[in-house]
Amino acid sequence: MTLATLQTRLTCPFCGPRHLSEFVFHKTVAPPNASPFAEVYERIDNPNLSIEHWQHVRGCRSWLRVHRNPSSGSVLEIHLLGAAI
Amino acid sequence: MSHRDTQAATRVGTRIANKSIKFSFDGQEYLAQSGDTAASALLASGVREMGRSVKYRRLRGLLAAGPEEPNALFTVGNFPNIIPNVSAPQLVLRNGMALRSQNRWPSLKWDVASLLQAGGGFLGAGFYYKTFIWPSWKTYEKLIRNLAGLGAAPGVCSLSPPKIMYASCDVLIAGAGPAGLAAALAAARAGANVWLIEREPVVGGELEFEASEIDGLPGAQWIAATLAELARRDVKIFTDTTIMGGSSDLIIAHREAGGIAGNNAVYRMKPRAMVAAMGAVERPIAFVGNDRPGVMLINAAEKFLARYGVKIGHELVLFANHDRVYAAAARLQAGGMRIRAIIDTRLTASETIPLRGDLMRSGIHCLLNTAVLATIGGNRITGVKIAPLDAPHQVRTLACDSVLVSGGWSPATAQLTQSHFIAGAEHGCLELNAALHDGYTAGRTAAQVAGKTDLSGTAPRGHGDLTPSLMPFWRSPSDPIREKYQFVDLQNDVTVADLRAALAEGFNDIEHVKRYTTLGVGTEQGRTSGLLGAGIVAELKGDPLTKVITSRERPPYYPMTLSSLAGLRVNGALRPTRKTALHQWHESNGAVLESMGLWMRPRYYQANGADAFTAGIAEARRVRSIGGIIDSSTLGKIEVAGPDAAAFLDTIYLSKASTIKIGRSKYMVNLREDGMVLDDGIVLRLADDRFLATVSSGHAEHMLSHFEYYCVARHYPTISDIRAVSVTDVTESWSVIAVAGSTSRHALAQVLGNEWLAKIAQLTHMDFAVGLFQGHDIKVLRASFSGELAFELHCRPTHTLALWEGLVAAGLLPYGLEALDILRVEKGYLVSSEINGQTTPFDLGMDGLVKQKNTCVGRELLNRPAFHEASRPRLVGLKAVDGKSKFLAGAQLIGSLAPRPCGHVTSTVYSPTLKEWIGLGLVARDYALGDIVRAHDPLRSGNTRVLLVSPVHLDPSGARMKSMSRAP
Repeated sequence: MTLATLQTRLTCPFCGPRHLSEFVFHKTVAPPNASPFAEVYERIDNPNLSIEHWQHVRGCRSWLRVHRNPSSGSVLEIHLLGAAI
Repeated sequence: MSHRDTQAATRVGTRIANKSIKFSFDGQEYLAQSGDTAASALLASGVREMGRSVKYRRLRGLLAAGPEEPNALFTVGNFPNIIPNVSAPQLVLRNGMALRSQNRWPSLKWDVASLLQAGGGFLGAGFYYKTFIWPSWKTYEKLIRNLAGLGAAPGVCSLSPPKIMYASCDVLIAGAGPAGLAAALAAARAGANVWLIEREPVVGGELEFEASEIDGLPGAQWIAATLAELARRDVKIFTDTTIMGGSSDLIIAHREAGGIAGNNAVYRMKPRAMVAAMGAVERPIAFVGNDRPGVMLINAAEKFLARYGVKIGHELVLFANHDRVYAAAARLQAGGMRIRAIIDTRLTASETIPLRGDLMRSGIHCLLNTAVLATIGGNRITGVKIAPLDAPHQVRTLACDSVLVSGGWSPATAQLTQSHFIAGAEHGCLELNAALHDGYTAGRTAAQVAGKTDLSGTAPRGHGDLTPSLMPFWRSPSDPIREKYQFVDLQNDVTVADLRAALAEGFNDIEHVKRYTTLGVGTEQGRTSGLLGAGIVAELKGDPLTKVITSRERPPYYPMTLSSLAGLRVNGALRPTRKTALHQWHESNGAVLESMGLWMRPRYYQANGADAFTAGIAEARRVRSIGGIIDSSTLGKIEVAGPDAAAFLDTIYLSKASTIKIGRSKYMVNLREDGMVLDDGIVLRLADDRFLATVSSGHAEHMLSHFEYYCVARHYPTISDIRAVSVTDVTESWSVIAVAGSTSRHALAQVLGNEWLAKIAQLTHMDFAVGLFQGHDIKVLRASFSGELAFELHCRPTHTLALWEGLVAAGLLPYGLEALDILRVEKGYLVSSEINGQTTPFDLGMDGLVKQKNTCVGRELLNRPAFHEASRPRLVGLKAVDGKSKFLAGAQLIGSLAPRPCGHVTSTVYSPTLKEWIGLGLVARDYALGDIVRAHDPLRSGNTRVLLVSPVHLDPSGARMKSMSRAP
């Protein structure tokens, strides 16, 4: 058990690891190919993977797709939103 | 009559300097020894009554000797310089300190509210929810809030901000009792950089009174030797410091020396590993009248004796469910207190306690399988009722002046989520040697996690009090009607009867029980009451305790002074202030400024009236007759450029931007994905591939993120092909001056110069022209926020003042937000009270915009049937039926069709042009224009009959705004 997981930091693809207070959470994404209604009201409910949109508002202003494990609180992956996956 | 009772308590040999200091409690002077806490000094002076409970106002004394104390919370100082809710056992007295008890009026002895309770028994859990609902909770709120809980807020904020320190270490150890000290030894010996945090002013925990021997030394000597070794190994020790919370890589600790705010410090620590060894908190047992002053935890009595030499009473009855009570009894007896009886709820005590035999031989009744059923006496205990558990009706009475109780220990588990290792009593090791071993192991493993490999050295070995051999016992048997006197949470007056009521009402989960009864919600945060309450709930439900568990603990784990939480973010440093280029001018010309988000904007100019109401009316009247100017620089401005700019804007606006011609602008509306209106503004087409979108001042930052999001949010179908677009915030690159009124063309030509004359004359509604002012870029947009002929000047901040002063010289005087509000309500223009996130374009009368064919964010969801029901609100204008009554925004509208409100008033102003109060409101569609409803506003303007009219109160044809009158 170590403290390697940086839960109060997110690693911005442009700016590197930055404190959470620079980022703003927007939403948890809907299932893929959702209808406009589902896009607003449906969410993937997976205890081990939450895909979220965040913005590095007080930094480079990039929009990010953040994969988190809500059970452990750890951040799994961070990509630029809109970039090819 | 004084609280002092010379019989009640005295002091034996003392460990603190025998120097007298003076303090006062509820206006009476007392003496204390230096080093005394408020609790120890009052006890030594014979004062037992230290406060009243929050709900029933029952007289209360000390229960505990630490921050878990539920009753003795004092207000320190004289108003307005007071600090409320200071825990008496932690407050170290200083000469001249003035203390006051809380929750009582007019005095601690005589409290009016307690008399209200005396007649007909108590108000149980849920009483407030069920009783004070007619006509509404609001009616009673003020009275109840005045009666309700804890100390008053200070009148001034005189505390200096805390020191804030950032630091990192290898191993952070919370708690410096035997386990914490052993952990620190292990980690430091392994070479780790160790920080040891202790909330008491001294280290050692219960070694302070426990008869102990460690590594051949008496406990106190072992502590001294350990501290010497830790100092040699550079271990930093923080006393008076409590860990308040944090995440796994950031721990927040708070230092408040002497138990009161003053020289506070906040530490933000980044340890590589953390050991929690914060011990366990003794909990009481519930029995009838267990809240009388004189009922105290056994640990507390031992601590007052050992640390302060204070005898908490003369004739004690001890009541417990474990073996430790016998060792405690022997020490209290040695301290000079007479023990009448030891009441043990278990069937047998351990055979290994020779102590019990000694105690019996010295004349103490040691009763097994027996419980204290109730205390007897008035405000003071005169005795207890006891009975065998297998024959609860064989009640006997024992005379005593104090009852010491212990129902076991609840581990201080609050930090478990942050900690990697738990040790000592918090980990269930209640025997000294086990705690030392557990602590040492945890400290060594933590050092290993922090990368240390030298793990030589052995754990200290010791022996102290025996393992408690505890048998769970939560409450004494009681007649059901007496359960309302069996207190579980003393601070909030939660009784066994309340817990039973909560379960009967269907609040099954412990979290629901907590919220319904207020169990453990006070400053003691369930430290003495949490597990006890859970144990009783389990018993009442017939469930195992493991199924009930305790409610979740949340930070801060101990009461924390608000000034420490605020840190340096006070007054001017609370948040930044944004100023427009004209800020200085406004200030030196008598503007009264108002904050709008982070911006400061003129509300009115003092030259026009003594207050906002009269000045606003004067300014609005002048705009309608001559004209005026307003600094609108706070308007959000976003430039959108690139080959895909038009297609992008089509996607995020309800109507099409791509049809706007260069040099033209359009009023446009953004929707949220769920179809509600998000914002509105004017979009200017600067070039084929370049637009300037204006957004509401208050929404500007959010709207910028919104624009940026849809540049990259690929989930939105029409956006997936749009890539060649860039979004830039130009809010601070352009100042905006709005010029309105019939003379505005003339004034503009005068200031901008003759070359602008023709340009301005040619501008039709929503056209704009670009050019130069004093050699710098300027845009002149013909658009109106007031319903008058009006222009919006976009100019460079460096040249704003010259332009502004020129306009003032040309006869156009400035107006503020107050007048702007009058002008826009007269015309039915919208602001955030109408665009409130709950209104659709249909609700706001934007059906025309929806008709335009355009696929945009939020459009699909506009088709939901509920958006078209008769109960949906619609924007209407409002005016008093009698033509003169005042009504205010926020009033509920009540019509003839149903007794419940059909809508509400969103904005009102007094219109100097129409000479009456007018407003805008949102009203259900089944009401038609011409209907009369009541604006119900019982707390302010009362009940006004209002008529539903068109939202455009003034000049519905728009003749003033479209005025083609040529400039002279």
